[in-house]
Amino acid sequence: MDLSLYAREGEQEFVELTRSFVRKSVQPMFGGDAPDGNLDMVPSILDTAFEVGLAASPCSGMPGFEYGIWGTSADNPTGVRISATLLWAVAEACAGIAMNLHVQGLASRVITSSKGGLPDPPARVAIALQEGHALPGYRTLLGKGGGPDEGIGTRALSAKTGWVITGSKSFVYGMEGPDAFLVFCRIAGNQGGEKLGCLLVPAGATGLEVRDVGGRTGIRACGLSHLVLNEVKVASEHHLSSRDAFPLMGQAVCLHWLGISAMAAGNASGALKAAREYAATRYQGGAMIGEHPAVRKLLALSEARVEAALALLLQTAGFACGNTDFLRRCAIAKLMTTDWAFSAVTDALQVFGGYGYMEDYGMEKRLRDAVVLKTAAGSRNYLETFISDAGREDIR
Amino acid sequence: MKPEALDLQARMDALRPGNASKHLDFFGKLLVDNREMTIWDHDTRLLPAGARIWRRRARDFARRYIRPDALRADSQPREYDPGPIVSQAARKGFQTLLLALPLGTAFPGSYFLKSASFQVAVVAEEFAVESGGIALLLMAHHLGCAPLLMSGHVPTILRHLLPLYARTLRGRPEIMAFAITEPGAGSDVEETEGGAEARLVTTARQVDGGFVINGRKCFISDGAIADKVTLFAKLQGEGLESWTCFLIEKGMEGYSIGRQEHKLGQRAADASELILDDVRVPQRNVVGRLRSGWANNRNVLNYSRPVVGAMALGHARGAFERALEFCRSTVLGGKRLIDYQDVQIELADMIVKLWSARALIWHSCSQFRCYQSASAAAKVAASDISFEVCTRAMEIMGDYGYLENHGAESLWRDSRLTQIYEGTNQINRLAVIEHQWAEISGRCGG
Ligand SMILES: Cc1cc2nc3c(=O)[nH]c(=O)nc-3n(C[C@H](O)[C@H](O)[C@H](O)COP(=O)(O)OP(=O)(O)OC[C@H]3O[C@@H](n4cnc5c(N)ncnc54)[C@H](O)[C@@H]3O)c2cc1C
Repeated sequence: MDLSLYAREGEQEFVELTRSFVRKSVQPMFGGDAPDGNLDMVPSILDTAFEVGLAASPCSGMPGFEYGIWGTSADNPTGVRISATLLWAVAEACAGIAMNLHVQGLASRVITSSKGGLPDPPARVAIALQEGHALPGYRTLLGKGGGPDEGIGTRALSAKTGWVITGSKSFVYGMEGPDAFLVFCRIAGNQGGEKLGCLLVPAGATGLEVRDVGGRTGIRACGLSHLVLNEVKVASEHHLSSRDAFPLMGQAVCLHWLGISAMAAGNASGALKAAREYAATRYQGGAMIGEHPAVRKLLALSEARVEAALALLLQTAGFACGNTDFLRRCAIAKLMTTDWAFSAVTDALQVFGGYGYMEDYGMEKRLRDAVVLKTAAGSRNYLETFISDAGREDIR
Repeated sequence: MKPEALDLQARMDALRPGNASKHLDFFGKLLVDNREMTIWDHDTRLLPAGARIWRRRARDFARRYIRPDALRADSQPREYDPGPIVSQAARKGFQTLLLALPLGTAFPGSYFLKSASFQVAVVAEEFAVESGGIALLLMAHHLGCAPLLMSGHVPTILRHLLPLYARTLRGRPEIMAFAITEPGAGSDVEETEGGAEARLVTTARQVDGGFVINGRKCFISDGAIADKVTLFAKLQGEGLESWTCFLIEKGMEGYSIGRQEHKLGQRAADASELILDDVRVPQRNVVGRLRSGWANNRNVLNYSRPVVGAMALGHARGAFERALEFCRSTVLGGKRLIDYQDVQIELADMIVKLWSARALIWHSCSQFRCYQSASAAAKVAASDISFEVCTRAMEIMGDYGYLENHGAESLWRDSRLTQIYEGTNQINRLAVIEHQWAEISGRCGG
């Protein structure tokens, strides 16, 4: 799968830049014994990503502000497509590194697209979209949903100099040691009732507890934690928008799903490449295994699924805009691409026989990453319900 | 009371099969089975008495002894000491199931009416529910013993298998391993056509009083801890058709353990390289006849593939049980997850798959002799189902599914191996065709 074939004129240089970053910075992680690569190298890899402008930043002076992944240029279908393509390229080497850049981009995107933005935004931000078991449902994301059970129970009360937040957030991906977290919570509206607010919580805020989730299957190069917010005080200028933040959250969820789709497909594409190479060098059954129809079938199906994932990803990116149909499309993209990508990875692993099960060949890591991308931020059941709710809403 | 007068709940209660069948006549009632019973209990009742006893014992043993070790054995396999669990399993009779009482511990009824594998398969499922790694650690021993039995060579059985079992029953268990795979020959030692062109390195040279073996085996489960290994080597100057099985013993000069693999799952059991550097093996350690190794190996696989299928099934059942527990205890939108129809459909799908895998596994080892096509089919079906069910179990738990302390993810990792070892599922599919070739090519009709 040659990504350059999919890059349009003017996009090539971004792909090339990413490839060079992957070659020089990401690939060296994987020389040693550790199954997820040398995780001690992650901070310096991310520093480089900021330097070369691949990591987006909410600070206008930083290189990635505009053209980083989900930077300000991702406000139209072309920009979204480019960001998705870059994520794919990084995930071909390591989906965990890609996840860091993705989440940083999401948070930056929310900050920069909020009305008014922030006066002095922090450089590294994580974004907390989920509570408890799942993301908010379709109607909640549209601002039509009911109570806390439907996904957002965290509340911020207005105080003298700002806000006081109480609640919790779960499964917050992000760079290790971020400067701040973006937290969506319910706040009192001007005309009574409630609306959604988006508040920036500094990492060191009193009352904020960042809990490590413990051991997990994959995407280990990216931090993952739960947040407990116990009367956390936030200054009023850290309230992102005076408007209802549901559109901001909807946009973040869309890009989150699209990004995960891109990473899943990129990871699968990397697995496919490795399997092809292996099939050309392993002798079994009187020939190189790539000659056996059984293996060719595995490779062909894997390739077909990677292509299908890419096609759906690019098609969905083409619909990027603020409307609610984009939410539905992104949910479909997440549901299908992560599933296809997972199958593509497991087929590619099968080509390696027993060697695929061992840490040395990196295929088992790809499988672990693939299952996390399939399960994280919207499981199959959740997405099926979401898509069906969106369809019903259309009819209404 | 007329139906309209009943409220909806009462009407639904009246319509439930358990209540509705009260309206049947006596003989009609006799034909209805509405007992509230778990699938496990239903299935256990299907079994002949001996296998039923082993199924119950195995579940109790797995819960009591394997469950507490499972997490540690998976996360720190190198520090995990297999000694205590092996001794405990041996003491309870789980390590001597390849022979019927009084020589071993299998019950004769199930052994002769079903097959030598049947009771082992029943036990394997239960062990694998708790931990794939510990299940493999205990089950690989049977695989190592199998060539001694399958050789059909009475002196081998008398000389090696019976004393080994006797020692185990007396509380001095020994661990056996089975070694066919070589760095250059994995699928090739599991399949006819590849076998003919296999590039084997492990070679036995006849000398006075026995053989000298040189070569290498890889990925051998329990290889590092085994006291003895049934190891296959070609005779010098010949090909795979000369394959002969030898019993290699720990401590033999020139025999050593090489690399131990780091693997995705089933970590409690090591997968090791065996190095043979001029290892002198006495004549008495030749298992069966010279050049009978290939036939022996193929038949061992026929008996062990249903067991691998059963392990796969166990992983999937374990993941399912954890997902079910999660769905019972997680409340979303005011309802438990299990009360949602879409979740119920998902759970039902898993149950259907588990049940069908068990049916095929039990079928494949339900006659005295296990045969290639049925065994391979059971292994393929069960392992594919297993990986699918484990993945779904993780998915239904959402993000919690991939956290290590929720249990499903380790079984998911364990499960993936069952599609690879004992022949990849591709090679096993070819085994189905090979065995049924007369039928498939139209030479024999029905
Ligand atoms: C954890 C683990 C434990 C194991 N335990 C043991 C053990 O205890 N004892 C033991 O002897 N072995 C053991 N094995 C070895 C195992 O049985 C082999 O890994 C397996 O048979 C596949 O062989 P391979 O790994 O060499 O893959 P390969 O044979 O190299 O296969 C690579 C790919 O090529 C395909 N392929 C190969 N040949 C053909 C063909 N002719 N036609 C079509 N497709 C083909 C395969 O399906 C696979 O997709 C173990 C393996 C693992 C991973």
